[in-house]
Amino acid sequence: MLLQLTVSGIAQGALYALIALSMTVLYRATTIVNFGHGDFVMGGAFIVYVAVIFFGLPFALAAIASIGLMFVLGLAVSRGFIDPIKTGPHIGFAMMSISIGYVLRGGARTLWGREVLPMPRVFDIEPIFVGGVVITGDAMIICSTVALLLVVFFLIFYKSQLGVIVQAVFQSERGATLVGIDVRGFHETMWGVGLAMGAIGGILIAPISLLHPDLGASFLIRGFAAMTLGGFGSLWGAVVGGLVLGLSEQYLGAYVSTALIDITAYLVIIIVLVIRPAGLFGRQVAVRV
Amino acid sequence: MSRSPNQVTSVLAGVCMLAAVGSVHADETTGLTDTSIKVGVMGPFTGNASSYSKAEIGLIAYFKHINDQGGIHGRKFEIIQEDTTCEPAKGIAGAKKLIHQDQVFYLHGNSCSGVAMAVKPTIEPTGIPWIVAHAVNQDISKPPTKGIFHGVPAGPAYGTAMGKFVMSRPGTQRVGIITHTNDWAKNYCEPASEFMATKGVKPIVEVALERGQTDATAQVLKLREAKLDFILGCLYEAETVVFLRDAKRYGLRVPVMGTAGTDLENTLARLGDKDAVKDYYVLHAYIDNVDGPKMKAWNDIVLKYYPDETITGFSTISMASGVAAVKALEAAGRDLTRSKFIAELDKIKDLDTGILACRITWSADDRHGCKESAVAGFVNGKPTVLSGWNKPL
Repeated sequence: MLLQLTVSGIAQGALYALIALSMTVLYRATTIVNFGHGDFVMGGAFIVYVAVIFFGLPFALAAIASIGLMFVLGLAVSRGFIDPIKTGPHIGFAMMSISIGYVLRGGARTLWGREVLPMPRVFDIEPIFVGGVVITGDAMIICSTVALLLVVFFLIFYKSQLGVIVQAVFQSERGATLVGIDVRGFHETMWGVGLAMGAIGGILIAPISLLHPDLGASFLIRGFAAMTLGGFGSLWGAVVGGLVLGLSEQYLGAYVSTALIDITAYLVIIIVLVIRPAGLFGRQVAVRV
Repeated sequence: MSRSPNQVTSVLAGVCMLAAVGSVHADETTGLTDTSIKVGVMGPFTGNASSYSKAEIGLIAYFKHINDQGGIHGRKFEIIQEDTTCEPAKGIAGAKKLIHQDQVFYLHGNSCSGVAMAVKPTIEPTGIPWIVAHAVNQDISKPPTKGIFHGVPAGPAYGTAMGKFVMSRPGTQRVGIITHTNDWAKNYCEPASEFMATKGVKPIVEVALERGQTDATAQVLKLREAKLDFILGCLYEAETVVFLRDAKRYGLRVPVMGTAGTDLENTLARLGDKDAVKDYYVLHAYIDNVDGPKMKAWNDIVLKYYPDETITGFSTISMASGVAAVKALEAAGRDLTRSKFIAELDKIKDLDTGILACRITWSADDRHGCKESAVAGFVNGKPTVLSGWNKPL
């Protein structure tokens, strides 16, 4: 049972890691916690559904379309809604992100209302049996996609010129501006990247869940829990936090009580904030005054 | 000429009495005009429980059908919908709006037991008639109150039907439960467990799967370890799909008895896997298969007013209590009041609605109108009404 739980926990945790990472990218770039991120995840899933079912696109093309559209939406959100309120209180960003998320959710409800939609099986991969352990097709797709995405992401971040620019802005916006980096454009791009990564999460979630406008809500809290566990602002922390959360849910559910699965994310947030607020990989920040 | 304080007081008292009588009379006929009966229909029209609102859609279609037949004593239904999204807070807001702002004559609907229980304290003190057309929590209408009626089998009836079917399988000894931890699920699983206990069988494992969870690995593995003969699945639709999917994945091939909160066609459509549902059974409240000949006229009514609607096991369930409501409104006559409507509802005995397997009987002492349910499962790949294990009706 332990091995099976571990396999499932890693697959679930990979989803949480992806969502947490996409939120962390945005947070690091803009200091904004996107409380509407769950709804953007849902949006990515619905775009794929519409593209596959109504427009008859192949899944791969639909996924690319979804990622592209959500990237563009991210640019639009940054330019149209975040930039205008930049001089206001920081809480305004949180309220704006929540509101945009609810507008997306309301739009989905208007279109799909009463329907809870099944995403058609796109990849019919037979499970692999290793001893008594089942590795499902969904788990293989999720884990391999997330792993590939993480490799690409961190290669770009640490090994490319683009990554150097990103790190420069992460470290000091003022310094980045002084050396000629377009910080405003960078923020917009990071909104696009964050939402595009969220869309990938939605694309992976859709085949294993039923599509409905409230889909993103439960993943949002798990994204937060993973960010908190890993350390707010830590990219590696978001990934590790997501995996640990996924495993924790499975182990607690099987060995303590299945009733704990639903509240594991909240327990993690409470415990981490009480015992080690900086999380596993976060840093205590000292501010000179 | 100035009046004495006693005279002023008497006049004021008289005015107050007249106002009180007037307001009582207004309560009795609130929501009525010469040409209309205002009815408030609450349901989860959006949200992840929105497929249950097919029940309210069917009810509204029936009301429109009655309107097209000329209405009741010259009055037609004026239907006001409120969306609860299956959330108590929204249900309470919706109920208050229907009662105090829209001032409906009566309330009819509600699919979600949690919402119905939450709005009950808002509705009950007003005395407004309320026919619960889909939600199953027995405590909604028990103990009996002035105006609350249950128009579908409540928890004890459904739970007993579940237990009976489980025990009709020869050799059933080891039973497990997978359930939500809310009152709705308890209304099914507890009476089912109580019935099985009368046959000497008690559940040996119980696991929780909460709403919104997309993975049931831990639950399935625990159930698989228990080597069960049967599983009671007290889950909403979306979680039933997650459970059946993971049950097949991890080799848990045990018959599962579901609730009235799921239906076979929808579950198969969402799973897309006939093999995953071949051992799945659900409560089936109707006299025939959903697409059977006895249901055609009712399905046609739904499709006439909602041509894009897909008929499922929820579509006509609330129409039965609609039939009962129309019967009572007709019996109450043109000089209609809320009290007369309630009195006529209490006179309904053994009403064959032509929809439900049970006959509706109400009285002032017992507002659980429906006490029986059948079960349905896939036989040779087709949804089939069953009287017992391997016994098609």
